[in-house]
Amino acid sequence: MESVPSINQLGAQQAEREKQQTRRNLAITAAMSLFAFIWLIPIAWTLSLSFRPEDSITANLTLLLPVPFTAENYDFVFSSSRIPRWFLNSLIVASLRTFLQLMVCSLAAYSFARVRFPFRQTVFYFVLIGLMVPGQATFIPVYLLFSNLKLLNSFPALIVPGIASPFAVFLLVQFFKGIPIELEEAARLDGASRIGVYWRIFLPLSTPVLTALAIFTFLGTWNEYLWPLVAATDPEVMTITIGLTNLTATTYTANYGETMAAAWTAGLPIVGFFFVFQKRIISGIQISSGIK
Amino acid sequence: MAAIRKAGFRLSKIERQEALVGVVFILPFLILYVIFNFLPILQGFWISLHNWDVIGTNVRFVGLRNYEILFSKDKLFWSSLEHTLFFALLAGPGLIVTGLALALMLNQRVRGIGIFRTIFYMPNILSVTVVGLVFARVFAPGERGFVNAVLSSIGLEPIAWFLDEANAMPTIAITKVWWSVGFNMLIFLAGLQEISQSLYDAAKVDGGGRWSLFRHITLPGLRRPMLFVIVLQLIASVQVFPLIDVLTGGGPAGSTRPLVMYLFERSFDYWQLGYGSAIAFVMFVFLFSISIIQLWFFSRGEGN
Repeated sequence: MESVPSINQLGAQQAEREKQQTRRNLAITAAMSLFAFIWLIPIAWTLSLSFRPEDSITANLTLLLPVPFTAENYDFVFSSSRIPRWFLNSLIVASLRTFLQLMVCSLAAYSFARVRFPFRQTVFYFVLIGLMVPGQATFIPVYLLFSNLKLLNSFPALIVPGIASPFAVFLLVQFFKGIPIELEEAARLDGASRIGVYWRIFLPLSTPVLTALAIFTFLGTWNEYLWPLVAATDPEVMTITIGLTNLTATTYTANYGETMAAAWTAGLPIVGFFFVFQKRIISGIQISSGIK
Repeated sequence: MAAIRKAGFRLSKIERQEALVGVVFILPFLILYVIFNFLPILQGFWISLHNWDVIGTNVRFVGLRNYEILFSKDKLFWSSLEHTLFFALLAGPGLIVTGLALALMLNQRVRGIGIFRTIFYMPNILSVTVVGLVFARVFAPGERGFVNAVLSSIGLEPIAWFLDEANAMPTIAITKVWWSVGFNMLIFLAGLQEISQSLYDAAKVDGGGRWSLFRHITLPGLRRPMLFVIVLQLIASVQVFPLIDVLTGGGPAGSTRPLVMYLFERSFDYWQLGYGSAIAFVMFVFLFSISIIQLWFFSRGEGN
């Protein structure tokens, strides 16, 4: 009988366990906070640099807070550099490519998922091959093509090659196949055309996956490196990711404040974009990896 | 009926209309896909069989000569292959171990844990040039870098991070881990959440310790995400270029030049597009093989 604990003892054990749990949670949170702080130092420090006058930076390099504060570095970036122009170029290129990719790929995906035509499966496999083709296997011939067309250093060169994405088609086909066939049949009986079904049923029902795809394409285009490096060498059409390489990262003697103001003029909007869409970005990654 | 249809493709009027619609819908995609994804592979191979020295002029067919030179004589090709593998060996395990550790720490029911997930993932969305500009300062040589300033404040000597042949690649790998470990963390987190809690409860009843739980339940449960991450990492590592380009430009003395940078230099600095295409095609064959093996592996796993 001794081994059976009384109700009081049980209550005490429970309380003890909860206390332990709370202590453990506190320890975890403290450890994570420290780790997260270290993780953020590169961002906090360089962001602070961008708001500090150069003589103060030389005097005290590692300061994480911008005191004394100045916006001069940003004034310089906006008034006497090409960065606003490159920023606009990136915005145009990334937006247009994202829009065109969603249109072209969702239309094809609808056809692969729902319309019957000869060799449909064969053509689909042919498209899936594209999932396994890395960019540097194709960029020399594509470069020659645009060079022959005299279209290097143009927006079409930066936008068009990325429109047909096998990954987008693959992802959308999977999603479209899950849309109940009854919805489509009912609409067809009411006289809706194929294009009407695609536009008024499939696209609206796919908003979550289309949004995730749009975010990834936009970010991917904004951050693209290899292709715009060869396709846009004229500073007037450069994207900001390529334009910033002109500030050569390895020139350590350059003005720290101005360089970092340039970097964060490019980086901060993307960080803001991330905070607005972070739920969709995170779930989008987990869904498209097929793990969840 | 079906057999006849299949044999002669004799479709009824409605079926023909349907097929027409289907083809019209995929046509814009298919045209772009063939022009920009598919044909360039074949063209790339064709170009690699030539001395294609200046754009459009002075083109001479040389058969497999470029490949012969590449494999038997080109020291720079082999050294850049070596640098690429060295990077993969440093960054790969770093990214996997750190990603898994972060995921395990974040897979707790503690309030506010989402903030940490956001913080560790955030660097991933920054463009390579922003990361490059930031880390060139963080690891700047002498007293001009953040890490060196901290080191000297505790009485240690400054280190020539990117400017020293022995340190450059490890420093690039550290930057890479900071930049993209968040992605692996998310994949591992998704995997961890798929492991049933009842497995842990049952093992605890049997008296399993923390390590034994990790070894016998967590790790086997993460088989799929682990494979996914490893393959993706391998493919990304073979293609490494932008990060190294912005951090060291391949230096010091070419000691961090990866394969894609070499391909880029041959093609667009020396304008040897035939030779560059040969390097590109070798890389394509290698990466394509990895993808095929991965596909085979995953589809086999699906059947079980």
